[in-house]
Amino acid sequence: MGYGDVQMIDENGIRVDGRKAGDVRPISIELGVVPVADGSCRMTWGTNEVIVAVYGPMEAHPRKIQRQDRAVLDVRYNMAPFSTSDRIRPGFNRRSREISKVTSDALESVVLLELYPRSKIRVEIEIICAEAGTRCVGLTAASVALADAGIPMTDLVVSVASGKINGVVVCDLNKSEDNYGEADLPMGILPNSGELSFLQMDGDLSQEEFQEAWDYNMEAAMVIGGYCAEALKNGGYNL
Amino acid sequence: MSIPLVPQLLRSHLIELAENDQRLDGRGQWDGREVQLEVGILANAEGSAKVRMGDTIVYAGVKFQTMTPYSDRPNQGGLMCSAELRPVAGRQHEPGPPSPESIELGRVVDRGIRESGCIDTEALCIIPGEKAWQVILDLYAISDDGNLFDAFALAGIAALRNSVIPLAKFELGEDIPLNVSKTPIMCSYHRVGGRYVYDASGREELGGDERIHITLGADAHVHSLQKGLKGTFTAGEFADLMKQARTKGDELRDLVHSLEGGN
Repeated sequence: MGYGDVQMIDENGIRVDGRKAGDVRPISIELGVVPVADGSCRMTWGTNEVIVAVYGPMEAHPRKIQRQDRAVLDVRYNMAPFSTSDRIRPGFNRRSREISKVTSDALESVVLLELYPRSKIRVEIEIICAEAGTRCVGLTAASVALADAGIPMTDLVVSVASGKINGVVVCDLNKSEDNYGEADLPMGILPNSGELSFLQMDGDLSQEEFQEAWDYNMEAAMVIGGYCAEALKNGGYNL
Repeated sequence: MSIPLVPQLLRSHLIELAENDQRLDGRGQWDGREVQLEVGILANAEGSAKVRMGDTIVYAGVKFQTMTPYSDRPNQGGLMCSAELRPVAGRQHEPGPPSPESIELGRVVDRGIRESGCIDTEALCIIPGEKAWQVILDLYAISDDGNLFDAFALAGIAALRNSVIPLAKFELGEDIPLNVSKTPIMCSYHRVGGRYVYDASGREELGGDERIHITLGADAHVHSLQKGLKGTFTAGEFADLMKQARTKGDELRDLVHSLEGGN
């Protein structure tokens, strides 16, 4: 089956999992889930489950990676071998390296690295269960875990993706929508300033569809940013 | 990347504590930390478990693949067990290829399960000489505060025991539960402050010496043993550990069975 062959939205605009076009999957956020870490966060988003641990700031080793004017951010995105339908062979691959890099770039834009010269902050993103949108969940959870670790930041980064299925623009694609969808637009949004620090896209969107997807993401990010703020104030959200 | 001086100070502190029959966290010599075990928690794994022992937290996930049977065992499938010490689990864990420590961990857990004979590898055969199931048990540490061996072994056997062979996904019929006939349990002992203790914490491991891992079946049959790190022990010390492992093993086995209902 190819693009558009599978009916993913009914005549009333209801999606396969019962959501309307602009709805986000259920989210929960728990802090302090890795007791040995300096900060940590477990985020479930639909059936995605992601755990992020933050270590540092600590001395950067080896010395050649040190920067005299700021800390280095060492971000790793990794999928557990049992996180997907087919087992993933352990170890880095091109996909996880790219996601690690763009996640690092997105976080470097908000973390006040210049406060910690010559040191390193490690961010470990582990995908325990994957259902589409893991890079968005990983980035959002990483920004919450950094805040949990008490690392000074200008803002959180809330990431969410919108896309298109059966010619309809919808927010926060689930697994089957992602498989059969026609486009995917993940964005990383700073909820306080409304700026972006992360952007990717693949597929086929008209200018109008693109604007609609953009607006869905902006709207969803503000709502999810509220959940994150609540979790940071109260130790969790929707547990 | 620990500074050698700190374990040295910790060592002398641990010796003082041991002389007064005390431990860092107030436990007795043979006391374990509180164990929390959950099974069937991961939607994309065919079997799964999460174990928390104090601040040590691990996941175990079971996946199935089809394999060509080995030519000397044409009617048998296989079990593969691998442990990953990801850098998420602690600041001492560096990224990179599997460390000797994580390879030892995976292999010791693997032997305890494999040698107990709890999985009938002939029952994993689909077409003799052509196709069989390979059961893959992945052990995944999220937080390392010591004694990953026991946490992995417990999560591993619990995950296997709630696994389902995904026949439907491979268009081979309806899913059936994986038959696991036994429940081997590992108990690990570290020499801390000169004496052995059960279920060492991360700091006890840092300031301790050699360790001994004992995997026993329900009938107290011995399925795997491993001595790790530098140090020696006496026959008398080992006999004590074996006795302790029988009691503790039965307790943990009951915990695994209590989550299965009717077993």
